[in-house]
Amino acid sequence: MSSDIDTLPAYGSGGDTTKGIGRWLAGFALRGGSLLAFAAVLTFFSVSAPFFFTLGNIGNVLGQSAILGVLAIGLTIVIIGGGSNVVKGGIDLSLAANLGLSAAVYATLISAGYGDSVAIPGALATGVLIGIVNAIAVVVFGIVPLLATLAVMNVVAGLELVLTQNTVVSASTDFLSVLSSYGPFDIPVLAYVLVIFTVLAGAVVQFTPLGLRLYAVGEFPEAARAAGLPVRRIVAGSYIASGLCGGLAGILSVAYLSGSTTGAGEMLLPVVVTALLSVVFSRRLVPTIGGTLLSTLLVGFLTNGFQLLNISSTLVSGIQGVLILLVVAATSLQHGKGAV
Amino acid sequence: MSSATETGNLALALRQLVKHFNGVQALSGATLEVERGTVHGLIGQNGAGKSTLIKILAGLYQPDEGTIEIDGVTHERLTAHDVEKLGIHFIHQDRLLVPSFTVGEALFLGREPRLAGLPFLDRRAIRRQAEKILDKYFGLKLPANALISELTTAQKQIVQITRALLDKPSILVFDEPTAALVRREADILFDLIRRLRADGITIIYISHYLNEIEALCDRATILRNGKDVSTVDPRTTSAAKIASLMVARDIEEMFPKTAATIGKPALTTNALTKAGKFRNVSLNMREGEIVGLTGLLGSGAKDLVRVLFGLEAADSGEIVIEGENGRPRSPAAAVARRLALVPEDRRGDGVALGLSVAENTTLASLKRFTRFGFLQSNREHSEVDRLIEQLAIKTNGRFAPVRTLSGGNQQKVALAKWLSRQSSLYILDEPTVGVDIGSKVEIYNLIGKLAERGAAILVLSSDLPELVGITDRILVLYRGVVTREFISSETTPDAILAEATGALDLRSGEHRNVV
Repeated sequence: MSSDIDTLPAYGSGGDTTKGIGRWLAGFALRGGSLLAFAAVLTFFSVSAPFFFTLGNIGNVLGQSAILGVLAIGLTIVIIGGGSNVVKGGIDLSLAANLGLSAAVYATLISAGYGDSVAIPGALATGVLIGIVNAIAVVVFGIVPLLATLAVMNVVAGLELVLTQNTVVSASTDFLSVLSSYGPFDIPVLAYVLVIFTVLAGAVVQFTPLGLRLYAVGEFPEAARAAGLPVRRIVAGSYIASGLCGGLAGILSVAYLSGSTTGAGEMLLPVVVTALLSVVFSRRLVPTIGGTLLSTLLVGFLTNGFQLLNISSTLVSGIQGVLILLVVAATSLQHGKGAV
Repeated sequence: MSSATETGNLALALRQLVKHFNGVQALSGATLEVERGTVHGLIGQNGAGKSTLIKILAGLYQPDEGTIEIDGVTHERLTAHDVEKLGIHFIHQDRLLVPSFTVGEALFLGREPRLAGLPFLDRRAIRRQAEKILDKYFGLKLPANALISELTTAQKQIVQITRALLDKPSILVFDEPTAALVRREADILFDLIRRLRADGITIIYISHYLNEIEALCDRATILRNGKDVSTVDPRTTSAAKIASLMVARDIEEMFPKTAATIGKPALTTNALTKAGKFRNVSLNMREGEIVGLTGLLGSGAKDLVRVLFGLEAADSGEIVIEGENGRPRSPAAAVARRLALVPEDRRGDGVALGLSVAENTTLASLKRFTRFGFLQSNREHSEVDRLIEQLAIKTNGRFAPVRTLSGGNQQKVALAKWLSRQSSLYILDEPTVGVDIGSKVEIYNLIGKLAERGAAILVLSSDLPELVGITDRILVLYRGVVTREFISSETTPDAILAEATGALDLRSGEHRNVV
């Protein structure tokens, strides 16, 4: 009987106004604060590390962030389509493991003598397949995404071990050499790949009816259903798109590391941070592809700056953890409800 | 009834609908016939079957028996999709709009205009068309880039109605559309509904504000106990007549009258106010007294109960419980002052469905059965058995999960919880909603016995015969203010309903928009 507590707005309740102001302040602090923090990070590093704010270094950061960025865009799509509720909303924890397995499939196919024409589709198909499994677990069996993708993550990580026997499978092809080289302006090709991929994904998510529907499905499924949208199919599609991103990131990582390596799982935390941070870079405080690119850069600059200053990289993952807590706490406040 | 000409004039005919839910009869042969191009009211008290009827029409429930005829075509089964295809649209109480969308995006979600030849959204067209449509229908200059979350409730409702109009509906169903609107906004809505009728759209208007039905509807069907009792022309039928049709009157012998001794003041409130909900509520209850409280959705009655129990904070005013002044700040504080709340939503708040009868019964009073931090189960169980017998709870033993009990028996368990705690002040929120007749009488008996033992009892109920039958006095809230107090033995359910629905508004010509 939620309608029982429906308010009569003209009764001009003071409580609602203060709540509204609190929410607005939380929103303002999030948006303003995040941009300020971004600027502060850039300023701090440019002052303390002169090399930091050069085109070359920015290109490097972009290149180094390409894998993270592609994965985070996949996760962003899932969060948009599944809703940003931290507990029940959309999440794909299997992305990092997906990257590992796709990279392993790609590298294994190359080292077994197949060309890129087999290996590239193989890697992408691996990613899509993992996405399909996630979609079935979430949409057909109704498992909470947090749990469903956690389980899939373990299965995928296990498959990667079986495939590679926990060793490095090196791979090199002409295509990989191009990917790992430098393009115009002495900027890594991977940086261009990230920018192009962001533009493509952004065009679909931010500028097509499909993207608009994805937002509707995630934020208010009842409203989407009332508008006649195929809610389940759209949610399933978001997991498959995310799986495809995992496959693509797998190929990029083989290029970046000249082979498949173990330990892809360590990407998970940065990916989650990046996708969650995306929210604070949008006017409506919703995850966006552009916001994800910005937060990818923020995370990338943090890591890069720490390296330039010779600060231990282990500190970076601590900071990422703190960022998750901050963003989730702030967005929960902004929505006017805690997780509990 | 079945002549061709008459049927041809009907936009919609639901005939002899029967629907059961787990043995509870929600509809028992209800008929609703709506003529094309009219505004047709659907009224009835809570539980009369309005929402079940509408959900059948919406294709959300399938009727057990009965026929559905739309535009002269009989439909065996209706799905939500069919209904939409047939041009029937619903304006629900809860506004189904995505908060972070702009007005334009919310309007066109699912049928977005695209840039010619491209797969991309035409945001300019969305904005322009939205502004044009809103201006055309409502004279509303709403920036189409405003976010839904920034709109007032009334504006959201307008967006929702506009969305439905984009589909060129033949029948529009409004479900309690003014529940969240103020008078001025409601007037705009009424004008709009009249204009839609002039455009040939058939409108079904569900409300329990009789004055709205009288002002707006060409015909009105009154539902009671799952059946249509009458279809009237509300402009020529008096509100008092309609009110009396809504209330059943043949069950008065159900209510056992007990003679309790009136004792010391148990609960007093002084000018209790919660902004936007209720204002200046002063109430005085003594030991052994049963006081009724009633009011429509949004009247503030529900909020008053929540404030008394510490679930919400009042803005000003006093609450004195057994001589001790102070507003309870939390339910725990209220319970500590021997207050007991039996909530309406018993499945959500009143009992823990998965726990056993015994566990539920002693949940609020575990301290009584605890020694050195451990439960003494033998003492607990003998108390539980005593209560099961006293309340005649029909259960498969004290360890049966409450889930397995009928609604009435679940409610008895909710009561037993507080009996076990030996509370002295009871607040019962809709104590017999969804309860079968037999259990109702048992619950009434129990309430009487509690009063005899010196407890003060406040009953919030929209079942008016029940209130008149079991209480000593009845307070009526209308739009946030106690407009009248009735002595139960000297009044009738009709009189209370007339007061609660503001039927008197029309006669006096004034709008009692208070707070």
